[in-house]
Parts: sequence; structure tokens; C-alpha cells
Amino acid sequence: MAGIIPDVSLIDNSDERAPLVLVLDCSGSMQGPPIEMLHAGLKHLDEDLKADPITATRGRICVIAFGGDDEVGVTDWQDAMDFEPPEPEASGRTPTGKAIRVALEEIEAQKEELRAAGVSYKRPILMLMSDGEPTDEWESAAVECKAAEAANKVTVFAIAIGPDANKQKLDQFSAKGAVRMDGLKFKELFIWLSRSVRAVSKAVKGETAQLPAIDSWASAGTN
Amino acid sequence: MPWKVFAASAIGKNHIDTGIPCQDDFSYHLVGDVFVGVVCDGAGSASHSEIGAKACSRSVVDTITAKLEKGETDSVLGVCERDFMVFSVEAARAKLQSVADESGCDFKDLSCTLVGCVASPKGGCLFHIGDGFAVADFDEGESVVSLPENGEYANETYFVTAAEWQSKLRVTPLPAAQAGCVALMSDGAAPFVINKGRTGMYKPFIEPVLRYLSSATQDEGDSGLKDTLSDERTYTITGDDKTLMVALLQ
Repeated sequence: MAGIIPDVSLIDNSDERAPLVLVLDCSGSMQGPPIEMLHAGLKHLDEDLKADPITATRGRICVIAFGGDDEVGVTDWQDAMDFEPPEPEASGRTPTGKAIRVALEEIEAQKEELRAAGVSYKRPILMLMSDGEPTDEWESAAVECKAAEAANKVTVFAIAIGPDANKQKLDQFSAKGAVRMDGLKFKELFIWLSRSVRAVSKAVKGETAQLPAIDSWASAGTN
Repeated sequence: MPWKVFAASAIGKNHIDTGIPCQDDFSYHLVGDVFVGVVCDGAGSASHSEIGAKACSRSVVDTITAKLEKGETDSVLGVCERDFMVFSVEAARAKLQSVADESGCDFKDLSCTLVGCVASPKGGCLFHIGDGFAVADFDEGESVVSLPENGEYANETYFVTAAEWQSKLRVTPLPAAQAGCVALMSDGAAPFVINKGRTGMYKPFIEPVLRYLSSATQDEGDSGLKDTLSDERTYTITGDDKTLMVALLQ
């Protein structure tokens, strides 16, 4: 063994990102334990992303909270290592359609920005979570979302939270349909999401990222 | 010999953890004052890509070497170099097809990328399909580089086995002034070997390497490179296999 060549610097000069957009229902029905658990879930996401050095460097996150008076709040994109999990408040209605349109625009704008900066990227993940049903015109947004997924522009996960989430409507946002979260397993869901970003960050050429199984948080039932 | 060539591949952390072999391979040969080198990186999605990377790198080097040994230096280094590189990759594809037939696997199971170089004191060229990286001349601002080419996403690249390989084959001429010092690498090594702007080598990496190689025997040089590429610090940079070949005209 010759050993490592003396004085060699080994640092990462590459610029690559694995974008993640969270589209979170923060309507009035999320008040109380659900919104608190969502806040805690975002903190788990934050910790788990930062726990892995490659993911901390490559993960890039934008959080979109929708609710209020048909309001859609968008955070700036942040690298996982700089991510500060927001604590959105729960109130008002459920403008899912508007939020998804904003999310799809954010994703394409982010790609544009990364390309302009010479930064390569992996396919973005969009995760939509809702505990109710859309109160705005959501059908065309669902069609757009599914089309973006089919065109390989984004990986979409639609998650139904709690018994009142209208899974049939959420199903329309992805060809895979929506998945109902088991009880309030926000922590498990967000750890799974972090591990998915980890898998995408490290996916090598010719490989579709192998995402972890969802059974830690998904309800076994079909609805 | 007019050239000193050092090269090594190191298996990536992901492959160690999952028990998959190193899917990078390389080959090189010297004919008189001409250096011929190729690095191939097998596709993670292809089941026998380590075999493909080995067969492809050897085949391309063999084809070019055979031509040079016949004294047909001009067809390699002259005006028709692109045609000749097309011919060499075609021969490698034929080789891959026969490997596939013999082993009963699919042609695509042998998918790999390719980055190579022919260089002499009179000049040469870089040739490239897919990702990986080539740099000729390590002096800042002087380097000629061949960049990785991917699809929209960083994990989508182009392979020698692709139907559209001809349109993905890029040939970059090397002027004599740049052809005396060449590095070829797989995309696992590029993040720490290449500088941030992707315009050439990352000095804090390559300068100590060149210092070390200048007085190293062949064995010391190759294993020094291998141990460096295998260093645990690379695990936080990439999970992928890492290959680096450095060719220095004396």
C-alpha cells in the first residue's frame, strides 16, 4: 500500500442539486395537533437531510403553504444545509389548485436558475399533503400536475392526511394516485421523504432513484 | 518511454455497501510517442456494465493502437480524426455485441460511457460519449476540456450502446501545446479533481498528485492514485466508482 498521496485536497467542487417542493395544506382544519405535528415533521425532515453530508449539500427545498383567504405562501429555495423549517399557521380555506400551479412554476423557474448557474440537477420531487379537499378550481391544476409528471418534469407524491382528506380528488394529481397517511405519522412520513431525497441525491447514471418503501407511514387500506 | 501514465479505479461507497463490483474500467497503450487512453464507466442500471466497461475501453485502445502500429499515424492524428474515432467506437460496439452473444446477456446490459484521448508531441484529440471528464494541459487558463454530457437530469447520460451514439460522440482537437499532459476520469472522480468552474483541474488536488508522481515508480504512482481515490473522504462527495488516468509527456 502506497497510502494516500500527501497533501491532496479532497473536497466536492461539483454543483448538483436534488430539488424538493413541499405543498402543504395549512387550512383551518389543520389547526391543533395536526399543524403542530406538521411543524415537528418539518424539523425531522431538516435534521435527517442534514445528517447525511451528500444530501445536505445537494438537497434543495422550497415550502409552499396554502390556506387562509386562498393564500399561497412560498419560501425561498434553500440548500438542505441552510434549511430553516418554517412553521406555517393553519387557517382558512384549501386552495390546492392554486398552490400546485405555483409549485409547478417554482420547479421550472428553479431548473432555469440552476441551468443558468451551470448546476446540474436531479428530477425534482413535489409532495402535496392535504387533510381535506380543494376549495378552489383544482381540476385543471391536477391535469397540469399529472402532465408534468408524465413528461418526466417532476416526481409527484400526493398524501391524504386523516379521515377527512378527499383521497379521490388527491388521486387526480398523480398517475400513482394518492396515499393515505396512517394516523398522524408525520415523523415517519418526513423521514421517508428525507431518505427519498437522499436516494435521489445519490442516484447514479442510468439509474432511476430507488425510493424507500412507504409502509412506515402509509395506511394499509386503499382509501 | 516518452510518456509516463498512471491510472487507478476505486470502487464507490454505494457499490461497497450493496456488494456491486466497481463498474469503472480503463485501458491505455503507448505507440512510439503517441499515448492512447480510455476510461469507461459502466451504467448503474446495466447488469453487466463492469464487463462492458472493460471490453469497451480495451477495444477502443486496441483499435487505435493497431492503426498506429501500422504507421497510419495521420489517420489517427490528422484531419479525419473524427471519422477514425467513429470507426473505433463502432469496433468497440461490435466487440460488446460479441461479448453479449457469448455470455447470453443483452447488448444494453453492457452499457457504459467513454472518455478517451490520443496525444502526441504533435497534438491529438479528446473523444467522449456521455459523462466523465477529460482535461489536457493543467495550467490555469490553458486547459482544453471535454465536459460531461447528460440528459436533463444529472443521472441521465449517454452510452456507447445507445442507438444515437454517433450524434453523442464528441471529438475535441488538441493543439500540440496542450497535448503533453492529459487527465481522463469517470464522473465519480470529477467532483474533487475538477475545479468549481469546470474549466480545468482543481489545483489543491492535482498539484500534490503531480509532485508525488514526478518521482514515483509505476507501482508507487498507480497505488498512490488508487489509495487516494479510495480515501474515505471521497465517500462524502460521491457514492460512485472513481477512476483517474494521468498521462505526462516527459
